[in-house]
Amino acid sequence: MKIRLKLSKLSPWLAWLIGLGVVIAAGVGAGLIVFWKGLSVTNLTDLIPWGLWITIDLSSIAVSAGAFSLCAAVYLLGLKRFQPVARTATFIGLIGYSMALLTLLMDIGRPDRFWHAVVYWNKHSLLWEVTMCITLYLAVLALESMPIFAQFEWLKMRWPKLAGKMSHLHHYAPYLAVVGLGLSMLHQSSLGAVYGVLKARPFWYRPDVSVLFIISAVAGGMSLTVFASMLSARLTRRARVDDSLLERVAYFIGWTLVLYLYFRFWDALSMTYTYQPGRTEGLQLLTRGPLSFNFWAGEILLGIVAPMVLLLYRPTRTSQLWRMLALLMVVGGVVAYRWDTNISGLMIVLSYLPGEPIVGYTHYFPSLIEVLSGAGVVAYGLLAFSLGVRYLKVVNCQEAEEKVDVREKRLAEPATTD
Amino acid sequence: MSQPKMNRRDFLKITAVGVTALAGAQVIRRAEASEPTPSGGRQWAMVIDQSLCNGCGYCVMACRAHNDISPEITWNPVLEAGQVGDKKIYLPRPCMQCSQAPCVDVCPVKASHYRPDGIVMMNYERCIGCRYCEVACPYGARSFNWKAFTDPNPAVPEWGQPEVARRPRGVVEKCAFCYQRIDRGLALGMTPGVEPDATPACVVVCPVGARFFGDLNDPGSNVSKLLKARTSYRLRADMGTGPRVYYLSATEESA
Amino acid sequence: MSKLERLIIAVMFALLAAGITLVVAQAQTPQPPQPTNNITGDNCVACHKDIYDAWQGGAHGQSLTDPVFAEYWNAQGKPGACLVCHATGYDPATGNSEAEGVVCTACHSPIPPNHPTDNLPIDASPDLCGRCHSDPRFAIENWKLSAHYQRSMTCSVCHDPHSAGMKSVAGVINTSADASDLCANCHKDAMQNFPTSKHAEAGVTCVNCHLGFNVGITDVTDFVSAHKAPDHSFMPTLATCNKCHANQMHAPGESVAAAAIAIEESGGTPTPLPTPVATPLPLVTNQPVPVSPFGFAGLAGLLGLVGGMVLSPWLERLYRHLNKEGMEK
Repeated sequence: MKIRLKLSKLSPWLAWLIGLGVVIAAGVGAGLIVFWKGLSVTNLTDLIPWGLWITIDLSSIAVSAGAFSLCAAVYLLGLKRFQPVARTATFIGLIGYSMALLTLLMDIGRPDRFWHAVVYWNKHSLLWEVTMCITLYLAVLALESMPIFAQFEWLKMRWPKLAGKMSHLHHYAPYLAVVGLGLSMLHQSSLGAVYGVLKARPFWYRPDVSVLFIISAVAGGMSLTVFASMLSARLTRRARVDDSLLERVAYFIGWTLVLYLYFRFWDALSMTYTYQPGRTEGLQLLTRGPLSFNFWAGEILLGIVAPMVLLLYRPTRTSQLWRMLALLMVVGGVVAYRWDTNISGLMIVLSYLPGEPIVGYTHYFPSLIEVLSGAGVVAYGLLAFSLGVRYLKVVNCQEAEEKVDVREKRLAEPATTD
Repeated sequence: MSQPKMNRRDFLKITAVGVTALAGAQVIRRAEASEPTPSGGRQWAMVIDQSLCNGCGYCVMACRAHNDISPEITWNPVLEAGQVGDKKIYLPRPCMQCSQAPCVDVCPVKASHYRPDGIVMMNYERCIGCRYCEVACPYGARSFNWKAFTDPNPAVPEWGQPEVARRPRGVVEKCAFCYQRIDRGLALGMTPGVEPDATPACVVVCPVGARFFGDLNDPGSNVSKLLKARTSYRLRADMGTGPRVYYLSATEESA
Repeated sequence: MSKLERLIIAVMFALLAAGITLVVAQAQTPQPPQPTNNITGDNCVACHKDIYDAWQGGAHGQSLTDPVFAEYWNAQGKPGACLVCHATGYDPATGNSEAEGVVCTACHSPIPPNHPTDNLPIDASPDLCGRCHSDPRFAIENWKLSAHYQRSMTCSVCHDPHSAGMKSVAGVINTSADASDLCANCHKDAMQNFPTSKHAEAGVTCVNCHLGFNVGITDVTDFVSAHKAPDHSFMPTLATCNKCHANQMHAPGESVAAAAIAIEESGGTPTPLPTPVATPLPLVTNQPVPVSPFGFAGLAGLLGLVGGMVLSPWLERLYRHLNKEGMEK
């Protein structure tokens, strides 16, 4: 009796926070175990050294691509009306890149040496270029997000001058957008090229992996932004969206998916001609082997084709539920693509002994520690976004700086609990 | 208000395109200029005679002892490579010390780097353990330290004594042609490949004398003479990595 | 928040940061030992403790202190002839030795003045070992007949010079309890057929025939046999076979064929097939792990869910329609 009463008093917001808190606590615990015991607590091997964490890292960076694309649209293409969506995307970008850095910190063998990439340079290495770009872009995102943090009520009360200065950074948004566009174009495709330049892995060794990565990143990033905005608007009154804007962005995503499907189609088809050891087996793993569900269902059907149809067909695009479903599917497809790319290349063990290269297969499934720590990082991302919606008005269809005073007056009214 | 806005937008567009083009050109230019080892000076190479190798694994044990390697890691595994007649053929695989090493190209912190004498060195103090080199190596020659190796080394002292420091947890390690023995031997005036104390441990310990080591740039060295006299091959030479370990095939007569 | 509270929180953060750094520092490199100067024959152990321990536990380290040796040596009045080998640097003229037992400098001498910069010399050839181990009673001259010697192999290919034992290839092959592990490790070709032979089934190993260690243990307390090394020519002779099969050899007058028939008619023992050893799932297989049906089942379930939700109004109408008809009837 008593318990039931207590539960009914628990607001959804509090329940959400507690749920996320539990997952984050488990993640922190798992992360500490990783730092303490080393990477032997994972199921990674010398044959598959990159697994779940790298996938989370790649996916976080991919779904943060909404930031650079929408900011470029607003500040460089002059589509000013999308500024609120760009604002949400920038905040999601900040969260996403911090998630990526957290995952990477766990994944490298020597977390205490994470700063080496910034100090010791190897200009030929794509991974170095990715690390530098991510570090610089994180700074850019932080600067771009300063106006968002300036909306924090406590900050405005405690340090109004600082909040004013942070808000003023919005003036530099176009320049930051230029820098952000350059950095993002470099590293989003370089992440694909990290795989694409390895001669040792015939399934990865193609020039179009980088193109696929950036196109899927743009689609996935914008999808997550619109989906998160719509979901927040449905769940809380603090989030307000202009549906016509989001519908236009969804339309653009639909066409991005068409482009993506075109590239994927020719990429896969070109690999079916002529047997090449390692490459042909890789494609077979995806189309017929253990990854076939991920590929056909996760990447192609639910990841590209279904959302493409739903987003280009007006009745489903204008319907809230169908649009949200389609956008979520795009994000899922982007994650599935990165998981499949990473694992398919590593699962194939190509013999280097003389004679015809013999292809062997190895296997990998993440360990509990990997899953818990990964879930913790994802929960952190969700928590950060939820707090942003509640306290920083991240999802808000009104222009941020011009209507500050008006909103101040509105907030003076007693707030209703959600 | 409209006039300045147009100018600013155009300016920003031009800047964006220009900066991206410039950055892209830089990246492409640098990506092409990779750094193979300079010719001249010494070029260490190893020759392994498969007609003599019987797969005994002494080289594995000696390497483990002299480089203080954990029993879970092998820098120089001995693989089975088919049969000639009814005799099984073996293939010991040290690091190929490629002249165009994929691992050097991809290391983000340049922990993996070339030495002028051709050896691909690992800077264990710099390695961050990202394992990109492990993914990139076509020969699987690199091993990651998933655990710290704290137990006594079972190969010591029977097969030798450690000559280099143990690697910590979280870095990638690989064969380095026993550079410590080469450097020390050269300082003492010995010839690597001739005097045992200046030659890699695997070459010294081989009971059947299947391994040879020497300077390719010296036409009088044993490896140069061997490669001139007999047909040799290298692993996956088609990939253009330029490996420095040559194998002498076992034929029906020689096996 | 008072200043004290702030301080406490700051200390907590500091402790957390320090703790995390300590945890990560677990992976740091240990310091290698520093070499000492002034190397004489006595303080090798300061740097080479591993080798010293192995030496001390073996026959070389115990050459003078071994109780069996001591008993016989004392009983014969401590003859100096024994010390030529059982001590280092024995001078027959003065009766003094440089050191008791076979110490490091017995083989590694002279010590260079700037060790460890310069290595200690070692002659890896059989000549060095042969200084002591070429006593005629060792029958070591047979070694020079062997294919091993003719292929320039040294004693240390099979013998560990420090512990004076056999080299171990533990972890590489573990099939027999005696030195035959070592033979099998290089002679893998012979190991293809031998394990399924009747000899192997009877418990015969390499050293029984090829080194003359027969079934029946050599008595190590026998003064003569302690100096007698097995036949290092590795060549079995007729005498070797006869040590076990003497009663199966045909007696004078009998024909070879009759003897062979007698053995066959007695049934003999079947050659056992090797038992398959259960191996864990190998890291690399030649077929990928098969497709799990659960994923597709999940997708089908999802589609069913969507389909059900879309069709439910009509299904409800159909149900009501059917019920109405039933009620009307």
